[in-house]
Amino acid sequence: MEILILGVLLIPFLTSLLLKVAGKYMNELLTNFVTLNASLLSVAVSFFLFGYIFLDKFKPLNFELFEWFPEPQIVFEFYLDGLSGVMMVLISTLSLVIQLFSTSYMSNDEKYTKYFEYFNFFVFSMLLLVLSGNFLVMFFGWELVGLSSYLLISFWSEKKSASKAGNKAFILNRIGDFGFLIGLMMILNYFETFNFLSIFENTLKTRPENLDLMILFLLLGAFGKSAQFPLFSWLPDAMEGPTPASALIHAATMVTAGVFMLVRISPILQFSEIGSITIISLGLLTALISAFAAINQDDIKKVLAYSTISQLGFMFIAIGAGAYVAAIFHLVTHAFFKALLFLGAGAVIHEMHHEQNIYKMGGLRKKMPVTAAMMGIGTLAISGIPPLAGFWSKDEILASVFSRGGIYYGFWALSLLAALMTAFYMGRHWLLIFVKEPSNELDSVNEAPKNMTRPLILLGLFSIFIGFINTPFFHGLEKVLHETLYNVEVTHLPKGITLAVLAFLSIGAGFTGLALAYLIYIFDIFSYFKIKIPFLKQFKKLSKDVLYLNKIGNLIFVKGLKSLSRKVAVSVDGMTIDGFINGVAKSFLKSSRQISFSQTGLVRSYVVYFGLFMLVLIFVFLLSPGVLS
Amino acid sequence: MTDLLLFAIPGLFIILGALIVIFAKNPVHNAMGLVLTLTSLAILYISLNATFVAMVQMLVYAGAVMTLFLFVIMMIGVDKPEQSKEEIKGQKLLISGTLILLVSVVVFIGLENGLNWNLLFPQSQNTFEGTPSLLASAMFTSWVFPFEVISILLIVATTAALALAYEFRKRENND
Amino acid sequence: MSLEKERIMIEVTSDWYLTLSAILFSIGFLGMMIRKNALIMFMCIELMLNAVNLTFITASNHLGLVDGQIAVFFVLVVAAAEVVVGLAIIVSIFKKQESASVDMLSSSKG
Repeated sequence: MEILILGVLLIPFLTSLLLKVAGKYMNELLTNFVTLNASLLSVAVSFFLFGYIFLDKFKPLNFELFEWFPEPQIVFEFYLDGLSGVMMVLISTLSLVIQLFSTSYMSNDEKYTKYFEYFNFFVFSMLLLVLSGNFLVMFFGWELVGLSSYLLISFWSEKKSASKAGNKAFILNRIGDFGFLIGLMMILNYFETFNFLSIFENTLKTRPENLDLMILFLLLGAFGKSAQFPLFSWLPDAMEGPTPASALIHAATMVTAGVFMLVRISPILQFSEIGSITIISLGLLTALISAFAAINQDDIKKVLAYSTISQLGFMFIAIGAGAYVAAIFHLVTHAFFKALLFLGAGAVIHEMHHEQNIYKMGGLRKKMPVTAAMMGIGTLAISGIPPLAGFWSKDEILASVFSRGGIYYGFWALSLLAALMTAFYMGRHWLLIFVKEPSNELDSVNEAPKNMTRPLILLGLFSIFIGFINTPFFHGLEKVLHETLYNVEVTHLPKGITLAVLAFLSIGAGFTGLALAYLIYIFDIFSYFKIKIPFLKQFKKLSKDVLYLNKIGNLIFVKGLKSLSRKVAVSVDGMTIDGFINGVAKSFLKSSRQISFSQTGLVRSYVVYFGLFMLVLIFVFLLSPGVLS
Repeated sequence: MTDLLLFAIPGLFIILGALIVIFAKNPVHNAMGLVLTLTSLAILYISLNATFVAMVQMLVYAGAVMTLFLFVIMMIGVDKPEQSKEEIKGQKLLISGTLILLVSVVVFIGLENGLNWNLLFPQSQNTFEGTPSLLASAMFTSWVFPFEVISILLIVATTAALALAYEFRKRENND
Repeated sequence: MSLEKERIMIEVTSDWYLTLSAILFSIGFLGMMIRKNALIMFMCIELMLNAVNLTFITASNHLGLVDGQIAVFFVLVVAAAEVVVGLAIIVSIFKKQESASVDMLSSSKG
């Protein structure tokens, strides 16, 4: 049975390899045939494996491929428990749905086959990441998803902005990976193994002294991959990639790798107070900043990108509060409704002929009713309106934070504010695209083709119903993750009336946000009542420029380093090092010119010099002590 | 007395031949002086118990090498007198300086030791005759690696001489 | 007694051979310095090599070891190789400038 884990990994890998090798000779139809069937097979195997471990009460499966190093023993191994099972099913299902969408979105693209090659390669890398049995294999997957993300972001590399965005994502991820790598080294140094289970068992007995530092370095990796403050600015730029790829990579799966990793290491993480506080505070900061930034973006995809960052912030809040189940729950629901929103945006972009400015849309409700309805579901879901998926998970996060008490009340209040902002910007997003009076003629816009709307409908259904896997009345996901979080102290929901009040408050926040969006952008309440808000323009600009964080970062890290390195290049390199080397060379040239007169070219004078100096040497030899008695 | 004669007569001939080599004007005379020196050396070798080396000296040096020398002399021509005037500036001064230095080294050593050589190692009691079989048994056992190397050198030299001659002929053809 | 003393006086020791060898070497070197003809310089080199050979043979006899005589063979081979190549070079130089004087060959002047 364990060998099937390898099968799950190999299907997308071999598909990618096949497309790489034979891609030149394949047309779109053949590519579709290969990639969709492979995905279907992958989904089937994933569900089969998940069913198997479900029947076995989520007893983990371990599969050792080969031994890599003997001492300290490192095995190339895979590990399948509830957590990786959920991720595996999520990834394979979403990849199938999104590939179905892509066949229509990407058709007539020159690099059609190449897109699916990269796509399958990404699926392989992501599965390697989630199915890894130790930190080193996880690091492999971690780096490979970074690579495939880079390839897909700069997919249209002839566009300069796309290749630049790819570089940015790669470099910012590198900063995180650097931290992750140092964390791994510290782990190996202390535990002398990479295997998850032995590390977790070890931590129960003895805790390393530098546990906090270890956790903080691993956190840096998670923050880079999951686009948290301060390493978040690559994600909005990553929207240069094809929209379906954004949906899978930069919304549903890859960016949640950090969340997955933190839940995976939760048996260690729970002992680090500093780590948890860092996670929750930076997660909250990210959620607020990016929600604020999302309020005034023009680009249809950038709103969703900032929204993704914000939702990832919610997941980090949950982890920081010790609500690991809630984090994974939100990860799952978010994956579905964010994929839905991205694919909907993709459909809109496709029909609008690659126009991405939401102010140039409007009124698309009538032209694209299915897309509008499905994106509406997504918007309601993300805003936390019951009984859609987002409500259950977000409410669980908020309630868990609240139940910790103390300083966490403050965190809860700020999270609630972020939730309100979420509803507001998502409402604005949907209303501006679909409801607002169109500013220009949109005659050529039609409903998206069936291959696009069908995945949307499927994802819409998921967005409605996926929330029921873990409600306060049915703790499904908790049971799935029970084995994974066996020794972990998980924050539980408050009971009874408190929970009801909290739920009511979060629903209220959702509705308030949506209502505010309607009042401001459709009803235009400001001009109706002739209210003048001071500093509105500055406020808008602040939101659009993301609190100038990008510019500040640019000023410090790019311009500062550039001028510093230029100064170093001129003074240190140019004058000192080059000067020294050139000086040596010149002095040799000069002195050799002055000595060269002694080279007469006459053999006989050389002979004489030779003899003279030989005799001198004999004299020296004779006069040295001990030669003549 | 025989020892002394066996050393003194060849020794005198050796020095005489060497002086002819460096002072005679006619190249043929130079070569003949060299032959005189080499032959006398062979006699000395015999008195030093190196009979086989003496034979080889006669055959290879006085025979083959000198024939080659004479061949070249005849080919170049003996009728071109060497310019006796010294052309290199300061050469005479340097030569005399070297000679003075050489003489002073000898005088210095002689005076330091009271005209007595003191060799570092004593005369060995072990005497032997340098027969071909003795030499061969040493040459092909402990000296076999240098022997192989030196044979490679000989082949390289032969090839080099061929290459020089070949290039030479080709140029002639082109003219 | 007196006869035996005389015998000791005129005994030819290794020193004599070594002195002869030194004189031969010096003559050869002097020739290198004063002669301009490349051929004769070659002969001087031969003289010096032979002086070294004499030293080797003397040492072999003095120490009672055969290795000195083996070394002479190697010197002989080197000398032969050098003569072959050297004479070929001299011939080609001579063809070029109709003279065997080494003073004309100063193209390696600095």
